[in-house]
Amino acid sequence: MIESMRDNDELQMNAYCDGELDPASAIEFERRLAGDETLKAQHNRLLSLRRTLRSLPQYDVPAGLQARIQSALDADRPAQVDRPRQVSRPVQPGRPRQRSWSFQALAAAAVFGAVISSSVMLTMERYDRHEDVAREVVAGHIRSLLAPQPFDVASSDRHTVKPWFTSRLPESPQVPDLAAQGFVLVGGRVDVVGHDPVATIVYKHAKHTVSLTTLPAGPSVSDQTIAGYNVRSWSDAEFTYIAVSDIPPEDLASFERAFSEGSPAPEIK
Amino acid sequence: MSVAIVQNKDERAVFDEVFLPHMAEAYRLAQWLTGNSYDAEDVVQDAALRAFRGIKSFGAVNARAWSLTIVRNTAYSWLTKNRPKATVFTDDLSTAEQQGLEHEGPQGARIETPEEIALFKADAEEVQHALTQLPAQFREVIVLREMNQLNYRDIAEITNVPIGTVMSRLSRGRQLLIALLGDRK
Repeated sequence: MIESMRDNDELQMNAYCDGELDPASAIEFERRLAGDETLKAQHNRLLSLRRTLRSLPQYDVPAGLQARIQSALDADRPAQVDRPRQVSRPVQPGRPRQRSWSFQALAAAAVFGAVISSSVMLTMERYDRHEDVAREVVAGHIRSLLAPQPFDVASSDRHTVKPWFTSRLPESPQVPDLAAQGFVLVGGRVDVVGHDPVATIVYKHAKHTVSLTTLPAGPSVSDQTIAGYNVRSWSDAEFTYIAVSDIPPEDLASFERAFSEGSPAPEIK
Repeated sequence: MSVAIVQNKDERAVFDEVFLPHMAEAYRLAQWLTGNSYDAEDVVQDAALRAFRGIKSFGAVNARAWSLTIVRNTAYSWLTKNRPKATVFTDDLSTAEQQGLEHEGPQGARIETPEEIALFKADAEEVQHALTQLPAQFREVIVLREMNQLNYRDIAEITNVPIGTVMSRLSRGRQLLIALLGDRK
């Protein structure tokens, strides 16, 4: 009986570290963690193991592998289908060029990943729908207030919220706890702006909820009031931030100051 | 005939969109599963060919999980064929390992000081060695979780086991690794 309880603890702790516990269980687990030295030691061990594993050198794709794959695929075409195409090639001079262009583009895509293209797309879209973004972000905030809780991952531990974002989004912001400045970190959620998932960090200020949505760096939206919620926006090198809350504009301003000071310099990778 | 060409071209385009963006991850996974770069290259190339031939079965849901599933399965069939002794799948840990866990593992009663647990005193080589010592089913979930940073649902899909099994394998795999690394102190 005791053994199975321990096993269950072990599973819960793993799920907690992986950001896979539901909010209620996560909070429950954090409460236990705070009061249980043995559990805390095990938790630290898991985090330490994770750091060790993630600091291992990453293997890079060998040069030429992609080219070899492309030619293996070329060779894989059924012969009868291929022949007439070979013959028809000189008749359509546009084709080989098109092919080499697409190969280069794909090679680039594989190296740089979807991150760049998605952020470029988001930036382009934002120019068109600049102020729509603020409305969408406010809508996300309102929706979150109607839900049982305004976040998907509940944690006052920034070391939980940040990895939770990292495992879901291509780019994730720093998650400082600003409890000392009156803004208590309570969790995070993923909002969708345009068609892209973005990280929203959730803070409590007295009884009020502050949602801080982070978009890829671009022009900030103007400070304004939408549907009774105050909106404040600023940008740094990595992100454009949009804070939404029903607290007065001057409190949002001090939130911005607290966040900018509390957000450590971005890690260089 | 022209229809066949068009179809063929489309399949290639779908392949380029679905599989290629995950090449780097595919290679990393293959490297961890096979243990060396030569085998990893062969596996990825083989997997790419399989993906291309089976591109019609791609359900347009999760390209990343779909691609990595093929890489994972290719790696295992490649290993079984070429190095049958290298792949160890065990349903249960050996008694010795189990005892080791109980004595030195995280369930031991001793509580470490923060300094002791801050960092494992192991360099990259030792950690890699410890990882290769794990039975394959523990190693793969740890690699998919920590190196590929996939969530439980995707790991379950790729390894073709229920989420509950992913959870218990992750937990036991980590305990084993901690015990292996802890032994070196």
